[in-house]
Amino acid sequence: MTTRAAQPRPEGVNWSVLLQRFGLALVYAALAVGLSLLSDRFLTVSNQVNIFRQATINGIVAVGMTLVILTAGIDLSVGSILALSAVITADLLKQGLPVPLGILLALGIGALMGMVNGLMITRGNIPPFIATLGMLTVGRGLTLMYTQGKPFTGLPDAFRFIGTASLGPVPMPIVVAVIVFVLAAIVLNRTRFGEYVYLIGDNPVAARLAGVNTRQMIVLVYMISGVCAALAGLILIARLDSAQPVIGAGYEFNAIAAVVVGGTSFSGGEGGLLGTLLGTILIETLNNGLNLLNVSPLWEQVVKGVVIALALLFYKAINPTRK
Amino acid sequence: MKQTILNFTRANSGLVILFLLAIPLTLLSPDFLTGNNLLTVALQVSMIAITAIGMTFALITGGVDLSVGSVAALAGALAAGLATRSGLGTYPAMLLALAAAAAVGLVNAAMIVWGRIPPFVATLATMAAARGLTLVYTQGKPISGLDEQFTFWASELGKIPVPIFVLVFVALVTYVILHRSLFGNYIFAVGGGEETSRLAGISPAKVKFGVYVISALCAGLTGLLLTARLWSAQPNSGTGLELDAIAASVLGGASLSGGAGSVVGAVTGTFIVGILSNGLNLLEVPSYNQQVIKGLVFIVAVVLDYVMKQRLK
Repeated sequence: MTTRAAQPRPEGVNWSVLLQRFGLALVYAALAVGLSLLSDRFLTVSNQVNIFRQATINGIVAVGMTLVILTAGIDLSVGSILALSAVITADLLKQGLPVPLGILLALGIGALMGMVNGLMITRGNIPPFIATLGMLTVGRGLTLMYTQGKPFTGLPDAFRFIGTASLGPVPMPIVVAVIVFVLAAIVLNRTRFGEYVYLIGDNPVAARLAGVNTRQMIVLVYMISGVCAALAGLILIARLDSAQPVIGAGYEFNAIAAVVVGGTSFSGGEGGLLGTLLGTILIETLNNGLNLLNVSPLWEQVVKGVVIALALLFYKAINPTRK
Repeated sequence: MKQTILNFTRANSGLVILFLLAIPLTLLSPDFLTGNNLLTVALQVSMIAITAIGMTFALITGGVDLSVGSVAALAGALAAGLATRSGLGTYPAMLLALAAAAAVGLVNAAMIVWGRIPPFVATLATMAAARGLTLVYTQGKPISGLDEQFTFWASELGKIPVPIFVLVFVALVTYVILHRSLFGNYIFAVGGGEETSRLAGISPAKVKFGVYVISALCAGLTGLLLTARLWSAQPNSGTGLELDAIAASVLGGASLSGGAGSVVGAVTGTFIVGILSNGLNLLEVPSYNQQVIKGLVFIVAVVLDYVMKQRLK
């Protein structure tokens, strides 16, 4: 925010700012045009709905990850938080816990694990990478302990609606993801808290001197990340009708990929949710395109790696002062 | 006297933790302090230790290398594929696989140095890409049918498994590079402060190219050993290796903010994790509970290390 205000405003068109703002959207548009020319099926409603539904899980995790990375942090534990909250909830739902309580319980577990991350970072002075790496291991271990390695299948129908039902033509997961994005965007762009998130990432010392309770803010950010991961887990198990102990493994890297492709800077303070949304959809559209063009899914990872590298080189090229 | 002990502890916190772990295990389990058991542990940790040594190089410069697991898989698959399908011969195939690993290291360094991309993200990209190339090359299926020249690398010489010799060799070579050569001094200088090192006439770019190639070569070597040990190249091998290697390096005293780390630390860090899981096995702790304990020990060790360093400042 402060960096944005500090940038010089030369006369005429500032291509670098334009590209920075809309570059990703342009890339997405070009990709969409290309794919619709190459495949008749790309621009059908069912295919587009499919892309968005595929993107929901990673998109919701990436919302929390965006806030974390904006504070110049990282959350490697999202996959494990997703797993632990999912298996406990699945087990209790099967034992007859009412659905609303089950959902609250999952989100509560996510918030609690996020809080532990935040406290380790702010009170224990452990770097975010290490603290959340510890939580990744502990969370996965607790998940394995709780399940004894076995999946919980056959969830109640009343719960499965958040993964399988539709609101008109729009599948429930997309509805949930849109609500999460809108809520998070309001919090990030229209509240004092959001301002502080940017400020902490941009200049933590200045934030502290300005009287911001940075510790409390950082704990909150990791709690939000935990809640997002838990919510994504609920949708995932509702769709799969099963909670596996290895569920969510590796999701941290998918979410980080969406955030950085979306243009949020790794050193914090720069970027936002719109970029993350586009980044998530761009990666999913590419996967979908490969699929439609009959390219082996084995290429997905290669393409993802190349896209991450190209996106970052692009941002660096149009804004060399970017950290 | 007190100062000497404190200084030793600061320099070798990994070794101290290792001893603190070994004493109760020796008392609790008669099987722990036997030659056979220690060899088993050494074999299990040797491969992660080799990767952790390379990781330590990257960490010292203030970077990180997330691509090591994928590079290990890629090197293993290429070596196995070339050895069994191309008629190239096993050793040329292994050398080509190591060259491919080094190439990934060059790509990492090029993105970090010339593209000025943060190491975490640059190596995240190659982590995905190298895993993808492995899947494409293997078509998602294991490659087996390795000859004796290949599986020799997981066999035993005398009673000692070959990977342990490889680890000792790698540790000696990297020890000389990191702690007894000018290039090693440059690595620490870059980690201590890039601008200062530049003013001292060091090229951070060259140092980083060296560091990421070393990390990739270590990972590639790990991949060859894993392949030899499993008698086949698995497309998913090495998944999560990056986090194990980082954990081991950090337990051994490396810092994520750069400037600190050692070869001995990387090896002891890996042994801490290995001895811990071996001990938990000997004490018949259910395997599902072990990961929780390991994670907690990791966090406690890092906090203790931090507290100790603060006190000594």
